[in-house]
Amino acid sequence: MSQPKIIEMNKVSTIYEGEKTPALFDINLSLNEGELVCIIGPNGAGKTTLLETLNGLLPHTKGEIRILGQDIKKKGIYLRKQIGYLPQEFTVDPLTPFLVKDIILMGRYGQIGLLKKIPKNDYILMEESLKLMGIIDLKDRPIGKLSGGQLQKVMLARVFAKKPALLFLDEPFSNLDYHTTHRVILQISRAHDQNHWTTLLVMHDLNLIPERCNRILYLEDGRIVKDDIPEKVLTEKLLEISVR
Amino acid sequence: MSLTIFTILPLKTLVIILAGTCLAGVVCSLMGTFIVRMKLTSLGFCMSHAAFAGSALGLALSLPPLWFALAFSILVALILGPLTEQSRLQPEIILGILFSLTMALGLTFLNFIPDSALSSTAMSILWGSILGISSLEVWYLAILTFSITLIIILFFKEFQAIAFDRKMAEASGIPTRPFYYLILFLTGITVAFSLKLVGGLLIFALIVNPASAAYQFFHDFKKILIFSPLFGIFFSLSGLVLSFLLDLPVGSAIAIVSSVGFGISVLFSPKRRKG
Ligand SMILES: Nc1ncnc2c1ncn2[C@@H]1O[C@H](COP(=O)(O)OP(=O)(O)OP(=O)(O)O)[C@@H](O)[C@H]1O
Ligand SMILES: [Mg+2]
Repeated sequence: MSQPKIIEMNKVSTIYEGEKTPALFDINLSLNEGELVCIIGPNGAGKTTLLETLNGLLPHTKGEIRILGQDIKKKGIYLRKQIGYLPQEFTVDPLTPFLVKDIILMGRYGQIGLLKKIPKNDYILMEESLKLMGIIDLKDRPIGKLSGGQLQKVMLARVFAKKPALLFLDEPFSNLDYHTTHRVILQISRAHDQNHWTTLLVMHDLNLIPERCNRILYLEDGRIVKDDIPEKVLTEKLLEISVR
Repeated sequence: MSLTIFTILPLKTLVIILAGTCLAGVVCSLMGTFIVRMKLTSLGFCMSHAAFAGSALGLALSLPPLWFALAFSILVALILGPLTEQSRLQPEIILGILFSLTMALGLTFLNFIPDSALSSTAMSILWGSILGISSLEVWYLAILTFSITLIIILFFKEFQAIAFDRKMAEASGIPTRPFYYLILFLTGITVAFSLKLVGGLLIFALIVNPASAAYQFFHDFKKILIFSPLFGIFFSLSGLVLSFLLDLPVGSAIAIVSSVGFGISVLFSPKRRKG
């Protein structure tokens, strides 16, 4: 018997409201638990759309999506508690009335559930993930007063603290400096292994694809054009067209 | 009129007036904390105009204006809620139309109010009349304030997460839609129940101004939720005093005082760079 699939997409299409052409077209995909998959492709290929369709933030218009064996349309709220999602280019306005520690804890609110107090352990997880990202000194800073890179680290710490079963990261390095990027890649790979996560990582810089990555999806015009092990996908030609 | 009114009035009336003013200040500015943060101010304006129109219709039909105000403002929430949820549609246009439509309806209904009632009651729903408030209405306000405070405490996590970012809250596994509609719904009730005090034209000052002032001072949402109602009490009580001093309608006085208060808070805000 084959291993149970953690993600199953069956002929999935997504059309944005008011648009005619689907941003995702007829996607078939199945992922095993523990895979670390990189998603690449040119701007507008549908990478972000794929992640948001998978976690149900964008309703798909055709096909079926099962995550952890459950239909995302029916069990969306339950499933999103198991998914750590880092959106692309998240920004906040400078007056945003929340502190960094609140933002990290909030990532866990869905799991904690309605009418429940925040458990002590959640504060420990919050501190741990801040330390992991090397930003424990930002803990009591207002979120609106951070640099782009600091904010990105906070959002990464937020998904780490969530301890999800699946991790969806949309260009998590876009604002990080060279050294931080490499450290974060290492931490993602390590945490991925330690926690038995299934990780989807959208990125542009093919030089940064983690060693641990076992599979690459190449998207173009809303379709998965290639889906294979890194060595096969990263042919010279692809490198040429997709490096920014 | 002058401040001697406070000594002339029977103690019971005075207590009713002060309690009503404070409660309206608290409940309006509590909801304002969410309305301002979630950029729903135009929707709130529409709701207060609708409540005014509802009230006027009630008076014209000689039926209880409060329940009509309630029905109208909740109707606006139900119509506009789904529109504001979709990013593609431009709710501003629809809001702009409803904004004037509800006001026009209100003024039209005023024309149908029997002459005897027109002078005092009709003017009170436009501009607010603190002396016209009954002890029953103050009790309603007290129950509403208590319920809203309780709801915010019980679901503090969820309200906090949604006030930060609705999409991120949804992604973390919180069902945001029921809470979004709860906020709209509670704002509708708040508007309807505070209408008599501040009046339909200016009630929104009491929702937006104290909350906006609190946002100038604090980076912590909890502190904002505490200080916004305190500013609300302060602004509405000072407005009350001003209205007696200068013989102004209480709604106008509160709008003036709270706008000045907001202006001062911007000047002294530690969040803004000086220089
Ligand atoms: N809110 C929206 N409404 C309508 N169309 C959209 C919307 N967001 C994205 N699209 C379209 O869907 C397609 C896929 O967009 P998507 O954001 O998924 O691309 P991407 O691969 O993430 O690109 P990038 O590398 O620039 O982040 C694009 O053609 C885009 O124009
Ligand atoms: Mg994208």
